[in-house]
Amino acid sequence: MSELALVFDGVSYAYEEAPREAVSDISLSISSGEWIGVTGPTNAGKSTLCLLAMGLAPHFFGGRLKGSVLAFGRDSRTVPVIERSSEVGLLFQNPFTQISGARERVDDEVAFGPECHGLSRPEVDMRVEEAMRQVGITHLASRHPLDLSGGQLQRLALAALLAMQPKLLLLDEPTSQLDPAGTAAIFEVLAGLHARGVTIVMVEHRLETLCELCPRIVAMVAGRVLADGPPDDVFNHAAVQDRVGLPVFTRLARDADLPGPWPVRLADSTAAFESPIA
Amino acid sequence: MAGGLSLYAEGTSLLHRAHPLTKGVVTLSAVALAFIAPSIGWVAALGIILLVLVALAGVLRRLLAVALAILLPITLLLLAVQGFANPNNRTVVFALGPIVYYREGLAIAALAAVRIACLVGATFLFSFTTRPADLSEALMQRGLSPRMGYVLQSALQIIPQTLDMAGRIQDAQRARGLETEGSLPRRARAYLPLMLPLVLSSLVATQERAMALEVRGFGLRVKRISRYEFVDSAAQRILRWVMALAVPGAIAARIAGWR
Repeated sequence: MSELALVFDGVSYAYEEAPREAVSDISLSISSGEWIGVTGPTNAGKSTLCLLAMGLAPHFFGGRLKGSVLAFGRDSRTVPVIERSSEVGLLFQNPFTQISGARERVDDEVAFGPECHGLSRPEVDMRVEEAMRQVGITHLASRHPLDLSGGQLQRLALAALLAMQPKLLLLDEPTSQLDPAGTAAIFEVLAGLHARGVTIVMVEHRLETLCELCPRIVAMVAGRVLADGPPDDVFNHAAVQDRVGLPVFTRLARDADLPGPWPVRLADSTAAFESPIA
Repeated sequence: MAGGLSLYAEGTSLLHRAHPLTKGVVTLSAVALAFIAPSIGWVAALGIILLVLVALAGVLRRLLAVALAILLPITLLLLAVQGFANPNNRTVVFALGPIVYYREGLAIAALAAVRIACLVGATFLFSFTTRPADLSEALMQRGLSPRMGYVLQSALQIIPQTLDMAGRIQDAQRARGLETEGSLPRRARAYLPLMLPLVLSSLVATQERAMALEVRGFGLRVKRISRYEFVDSAAQRILRWVMALAVPGAIAARIAGWR
């Protein structure tokens, strides 16, 4: 049985002075090498889930945490975030605040994390080059981070994270500022990392993308897990259909009154639509 | 917008390649010496040396553009005021109607102008040939803590970052119909809808950046190894010591009667 990368055991969390819990009674086990998609409406608790996994909640935010969050067997309460950063990486929604704000070149910005971890010069250089190549920003190496567009900045933030070579990647809407081509390129990078055994937890609103990429989906609503399983199961769950939404192929199949379970991916939907015609 | 607050001009001159600390020490010492030296001859000699270094660094044209904009009005003002109103004025040089100009005042103004020219020249010579990040990196390699190094580096980025954020907010508010151009009262009215989101988003950004730094391991108690190695040499070390010692030496000489 593979090692558990991340475990939420009966986790409830409320931010300091918040009247209600941001997440309630979450229990999830994520094995090493899994690629999990997390989706749900606004205020579902998706970002808080990432902050808890990283340890920023409660270390940074304070607040009340019940239950336990284990990353690679270590409880978030006992491991400071800076120590956890060697094996867990978090990509924030806003790439502007992800950059250090102290570096004048893109490659120096990517090197910031590995340097903080005391890696050797050749190792840092190798990681910087590899990370920039992965996300396609090698040609921007000498530019100032503030001269980059939103999409380029998002790639830089991801490169800075990849240079740390974390075993668990927490991605909070990693492609929100990217164009379709940039989005496809980043998902290709993530697919490569997944193939190399990196565990990925990715918050994403594009349900079609999630269904294509993630073998397991966690649907959240109002701080609770509504459904957890393969995309076909999750999006054929009545409560998910009502409260989270449906991938476009699933919605088309439903609107066409096709018999369930409805397809969630393009390839499956082609077959589903062909059957009644035949 | 152009990133960074740096005036650095790409180049491969001897000064570009010199150790940042050498350039820092030379700059500070040159400025100090310009203000310690007693006569215009000494200060002008220092100015000529700086001008030669500027030319060697290949940034003479850039310096002249900046120097003209800064120094010309200052020099004219000094000459106009000191030549006319300095209390030590005795020897008449010329008169413009009722306004009489004196040699003593003009000499004092000229000395002050040459000193300011040295200050501007040395500072811009340093700025044109040194990346701010290189200076803080060199200081960290000499024992400055990474936290202080970060403060130094990020301080240099705060203004461009804030301007960048202000630009985004201004664009967003304009898109909603806010008029940010035109008469002074109209621009004043637009100030609050721009400042409030700027302050709030700066606070949020500060919190998020603090989190992001932790996530990247900033503050880990490990020996940090820089990607950059600045070439230092015995000649540069000697130069640094000579320049650093020249300042107390000049002060001592002044006390001893250097005129």
